[in-house]
Amino acid sequence: MNKYTIGKIYFGVLGIVTLAFGVAELVVTAGGDSFSWSILEIPNGIFRGGWGGVIILSAGSFYLSGIKNLSEIHQFSKIVMGSILIWIVAGCDIFAMITESIPGEEGWFNSLEGFLETYAPPYPPAIILLPFSLIVIYYIYKRKVA
Amino acid sequence: MLSIDERWDLIDKISKKTVKFGKYKHTLKDAVGELTVKPLTGIPVAVAVLYGFWSVFSSFAGFCTDGFLVKIFDGYWLPWLQNIFPGGLHNWLYNLMVDAGHIENGVLVPSDNCFEAFGVLTSGLFVPFGVVLPAVFIFYLMMTLLEDIGYLPRLAVLIDTVLHKIGLHGYAIVPTILGFGCNVPAVTATRILETKKQRFMMMTLLGIFIPCGAQLGIMEEVIPDTMGFVILYLLFGYFVFGFILNKIIPGKSPEILIDIPPYQRPTIHNVRKKVWIRVSGFLKVAVPFVILGCLIVGVMYITGFMDWLANALSPLLTNWFGVPKETVGPLVAAFMRKDLAVAQLSAIEMTKYQMITSVVLVSIYFPCLATFIMILKEGGKELLGSLAALVASVFIFGGLIHLIWILLGVA
Repeated sequence: MNKYTIGKIYFGVLGIVTLAFGVAELVVTAGGDSFSWSILEIPNGIFRGGWGGVIILSAGSFYLSGIKNLSEIHQFSKIVMGSILIWIVAGCDIFAMITESIPGEEGWFNSLEGFLETYAPPYPPAIILLPFSLIVIYYIYKRKVA
Repeated sequence: MLSIDERWDLIDKISKKTVKFGKYKHTLKDAVGELTVKPLTGIPVAVAVLYGFWSVFSSFAGFCTDGFLVKIFDGYWLPWLQNIFPGGLHNWLYNLMVDAGHIENGVLVPSDNCFEAFGVLTSGLFVPFGVVLPAVFIFYLMMTLLEDIGYLPRLAVLIDTVLHKIGLHGYAIVPTILGFGCNVPAVTATRILETKKQRFMMMTLLGIFIPCGAQLGIMEEVIPDTMGFVILYLLFGYFVFGFILNKIIPGKSPEILIDIPPYQRPTIHNVRKKVWIRVSGFLKVAVPFVILGCLIVGVMYITGFMDWLANALSPLLTNWFGVPKETVGPLVAAFMRKDLAVAQLSAIEMTKYQMITSVVLVSIYFPCLATFIMILKEGGKELLGSLAALVASVFIFGGLIHLIWILLGVA
């Protein structure tokens, strides 16, 4: 198996999982209550769940539409774009965590316990998908070297 | 002096040394760039970019304002001024400069936050520095990054078809997005539009339907739950009134060619310089007008003119727009600064639906003074036409929202 065959399988699976997360976010938002299981929490607000869900869904679609003929630059750019969409949503989630963790409820700054608690699980789907989406950087690097 | 043949020879020699000939191979950057301008793939990307923009804007503004600046202004600055400023609640100068107070169970009591104090030294400083400055800073920072990366021209291409439906073209997105920061530079940016008709339409739509960053910052602070509805109404108005204006205003809306630069890494020096110019320009415009607004509104309350005006306009406000007559104060303040007016609205008791209508009214009823002056400078006598469109839109749009609430059974 060459690296593009492995890539096809990897991004195919990632695409299906991402797509499923996107659908789940939209369903949970439509339902009204947030959903939590183990380290996963699916948000339910119109902005984060609805709008964010559409983006995650689009990221999944980009992955799936890009896996055919992955070595071709235009197809590969779809995989890159899928990862970029995940980075945008996850980056916003992490930035929101950082801005929530620093100020305290009553004092100026949060306690160490409160600070660390903000970063504890459960996490929204985009943050769970984030490390898996970073694999695309390896492929960009490999393509550059080649 | 070279002959024509010698010139061509020279050109050949230079081009052979400087230009590489051969088949151009698409890079990853080119391919990603293409994805962002094709509608099928570009729209999800635009949705994601706007999501990121909005999410970072809310997180950062909330972090600075709620996390630290509210604590400084409400916990230290307001109590300190209330202690050291001579006079007290029954002194007109104290009311004007520090705290107008409010009535609780028939008794005049001091305010406990800078939003409600409405003094020149309290609300007059808290609104521009405590709420608006962080919002405007992060807005301009992100906008500059999108501009320097090269995404804005791609957004212009993407939205060109939609904007043509209302007689504008893709580059109208530049003044529109700038307007979400401050309407004053946005009015200047209408110069990139081709015809008089397009410029007039853009200025009118900016003045009425595009809330500035200051207003967005205040809305995020005082009505976070209903803000989405307000923006939805405004954007709906932007397209509907744009469509109508396009039909009734004579003139041309020509096609244009847009040159798309390649994506590039922004340089810190450029970003820093642009953000500084924009934020400092904003502060120069905002601070004097917020202070002046506090002063004028304060004087109108003290002299009893505001109560008279509220009673006089009561039938219109309560029957046609369905909002409390007390909203007349914020409507007067909105002429100076919209952000100040929205802050003032937050202190008035009303239902969620009345609040949405009031904020929409404050947004559309008149551009703030600074924008008004800029439209006057850029648009000249055509401003009268813009004002006529504005009066019509306020009555139609305000009444329409009230009608929607009545039909939904919530008014």
